[in-house]
Amino acid sequence: MTAPIEAPTDIAAPEIVLEGAGAKAIEGRSLGQIAWMRLRRDKVAMGGGVVIIALILIAIFGPFFVQNPTIYHPSLINPTLSTPNGTLGGISAAHPLGVEPSTGRDMLSRVVNGARISLLIAFLATALAVVIGVVMGVIAGYFGGWTDSVIARLMDIFLAFPLLVFAIALVGVMPSSAFGLSGNGLRIWLLIFIIGFFAWPYMGRIIRGQTLSLREREFVDAARSMGARGPYVLFRELLPNLWGPILVYATLLIPTNILFEAALSYLGVGIIPPQPTWGGMVSDAVTNGFYQIDPMFMIIPGFAIFLTVLAFNLFGDGLRDALDPRSR
Amino acid sequence: MRRRKSLWLGAIASIAALGLAACGGSSTTPTPTTAGFNAASTAVVNSSTHVGGTITYNDTTWPDSLDAGNTYYAHMWNFTRLYASPLMTYASCVGTCGLKLIPALATAPGVPSNGDKTWTYTIKSGMKFSDGTPITSADVKYAVMRTFAKDVLVNGPSYFISLLAGNAATYKGPYKMKGVDLTSIQTPNSTTVVFQLNKPFADFNYIAAIPQTAPVPQSKDTGASYQLHFVSSGPYMLQSATLNKQWVLVKNPNWNPAMDPAVHQYAAKIIVNVNPNANDIDNRLIAGDINMDIAGTGVQSAARARILTNASLKASSDDPITGFMFFIYQNTQVAPLTNVHCRMAIEFAANKTTLLDAFGGPYQGTTASTAMPPNIVGWQHFDLYNAASHPTGDITSAKQQLSLCGQPHGFTTGIAYRSDRPRDVAMAQALQAALAPVGIKLTLHGFPSGSYYSNFAGVPTYMKTHGLGLATGGWGADWPDAWGWFDQIANGNAIASAGNTNISMLNDPVVNDALAKMQAPGQSQAQLNVIAQQINMQVMKDAAIVPVVYAKALLYRSPALTNVMVQPYYGMYNYGTLGSK
Repeated sequence: MTAPIEAPTDIAAPEIVLEGAGAKAIEGRSLGQIAWMRLRRDKVAMGGGVVIIALILIAIFGPFFVQNPTIYHPSLINPTLSTPNGTLGGISAAHPLGVEPSTGRDMLSRVVNGARISLLIAFLATALAVVIGVVMGVIAGYFGGWTDSVIARLMDIFLAFPLLVFAIALVGVMPSSAFGLSGNGLRIWLLIFIIGFFAWPYMGRIIRGQTLSLREREFVDAARSMGARGPYVLFRELLPNLWGPILVYATLLIPTNILFEAALSYLGVGIIPPQPTWGGMVSDAVTNGFYQIDPMFMIIPGFAIFLTVLAFNLFGDGLRDALDPRSR
Repeated sequence: MRRRKSLWLGAIASIAALGLAACGGSSTTPTPTTAGFNAASTAVVNSSTHVGGTITYNDTTWPDSLDAGNTYYAHMWNFTRLYASPLMTYASCVGTCGLKLIPALATAPGVPSNGDKTWTYTIKSGMKFSDGTPITSADVKYAVMRTFAKDVLVNGPSYFISLLAGNAATYKGPYKMKGVDLTSIQTPNSTTVVFQLNKPFADFNYIAAIPQTAPVPQSKDTGASYQLHFVSSGPYMLQSATLNKQWVLVKNPNWNPAMDPAVHQYAAKIIVNVNPNANDIDNRLIAGDINMDIAGTGVQSAARARILTNASLKASSDDPITGFMFFIYQNTQVAPLTNVHCRMAIEFAANKTTLLDAFGGPYQGTTASTAMPPNIVGWQHFDLYNAASHPTGDITSAKQQLSLCGQPHGFTTGIAYRSDRPRDVAMAQALQAALAPVGIKLTLHGFPSGSYYSNFAGVPTYMKTHGLGLATGGWGADWPDAWGWFDQIANGNAIASAGNTNISMLNDPVVNDALAKMQAPGQSQAQLNVIAQQINMQVMKDAAIVPVVYAKALLYRSPALTNVMVQPYYGMYNYGTLGSK
């Protein structure tokens, strides 16, 4: 008998054939891939995601395809009553969503143009709030003690700040051109700063709470016992586990910021007319009382805001479910 | 899955609620008692001497001042008679009767002498302030003296400053020049006031009717803050004043009805609340929660539509011609509007149709093409900028004018407006949209109406520094003739550094001289009419203003009020005669 000192070459290496997976080797799936698969299965969240993408596309490209939103059409309104002629706010082939009361401006183009500003301000203000809030919240929650006290008091101060008064004052003293910008360019950045800079405590408190509970967990102890220092623990251990709450509360913050911009418009410190914004249109409908005589003028931008809020909520919910390994 | 379901239910519920709210409309308006549409323009409605009750007003902003010597809004000149009796006043009756002067604090109209350069008034004796101290001629003199302090009391016309003789030219008011006497006014005894003028002025009784002549005790005067604790010489006195929120008047126990026959002491209490939302004011007015919108310029669009489509609401409303105009002033000192052709370009390009729509349509006025309203004696129609032939704007002529002024591609300038007045906001936007096609870009700048004239549009240096070439505004005649209309808005000598009403900064010698000529003695009405037309024509040739409307106002007449009448001089309801049911 011969001893098998060489590997037999005439027997093929065993392969496991996976069904429907294209004959790949078994690999571990990453957290991101698991999350994506779970998300894909959640039809409602995907629906929300599709709407969000559609809104973003409309905001970016829509204004090129609709008519000029600043053109008045006095022949389309009744001058005595200021209401649009026709039913449902003057819906017609030329104006699929009707026209504005008193001015006759096309509603569809105003809504589409408004999407751009409303979403831009809401996104960037939320991003600012999230960045500041997460950094402050994580530092406060992780380091605790003296740092935590200081940051917590800072959050209290910001939350107690008379924001609307500050917004009016800041807009009032700001010259009409600064930092190389003027007009609406300057005003948009001012609004992003005001809204975002004062919304961070909302995010900060939540993240601080989450961090406080997370830092007691075993994997943090394990990392520390292996010699990991503060920044490593913060960025590689804690932050990945905070994505869930960050995303969910960010999606809840976005529509709040859209409505915040509307409040500032009502006080005369929002976007300068004639640039339309959804919040500004709802404000016009309410403060000028048009909702009483032409309800479509409020319903249309109101529905746009509602749809945006719903989409972000559904998507955010689904995202959280997908990312949190323990929820079903 | 439970979370999702509740989300959808919530969504459906909110859509339903939105729909129901939109259809809610006016189902809760009470049925008012009616005297018919426009009844108060021709008769007193709900005539009654019933005493007691509370009248509640709303105001979209704190006024320029509660102080009768520091306010320039028509509704305040109307309202201040409740606590400040000037020498003369307008009769409380409807129609042309209400344009006549009657003596208030004075016993009779002023006696002219010295070729209309000296005017002597005798004030009623035995009259008292609300604190019981007697009213003397010295208090009338002091009231006029304090109006010279234009740095402290910035609002109000400056007729005394320009007309009085003696040391008026160098007098700067009692705050800066303590103890200095104003020699142009003499008080030989406690009931006689003598005004010495530097030129003849036949219309002086009209000036005596301005609230600036209402007596002020020097010992109680505190300058700009006097408005928060003033002493009253009218049927009501101040109970409390909370800046930017509310002020409350109660009966003045020391009121003598002989002091001013045009005002009455019927209601027990008068409350004025500041409510920044003009539309909410209309809703409350129609629902009966409040009795009057103090501004008196008419309801906003939504309430107008409700009133005009509801027979019983319409029967409780009035639509008087107010005698006001609403303009857009063109600032001749802000480039490139320094060039008359650039201003004429704006006149041609303005879209009169959208401007009238912005102002509220035919129930709020008619399109204007001159600088003076038709009810002023001597008015004649003319139309220099094709308002009738091109109601949506004459773009071709506008472009020609732009080439003539060296700006063929247009230019950029700012427009100031009052952000708490929805009609101002709409007018500014309508003009912005109308000028865009010719390349003129307007940037919008909103300000609160309470400080509009004192701090912004009425401060020439502010307008110039901020590049504000245009400003919206309304104007009513200080008294019902062409001089009383034009002097404070078109006379180069009336330009002030704050509280300025010649917002166009117009200083045209043709206009200045014509105005001076109108006050010369011995002119016939026909001659005065000719001069009035000259001034009107010249102001439009100079394109100093863009006329928007000869205003009317759709006013809602609260059924809880008695003695409601339209007072033609103020162009709104007479606040001096109102009582509560």
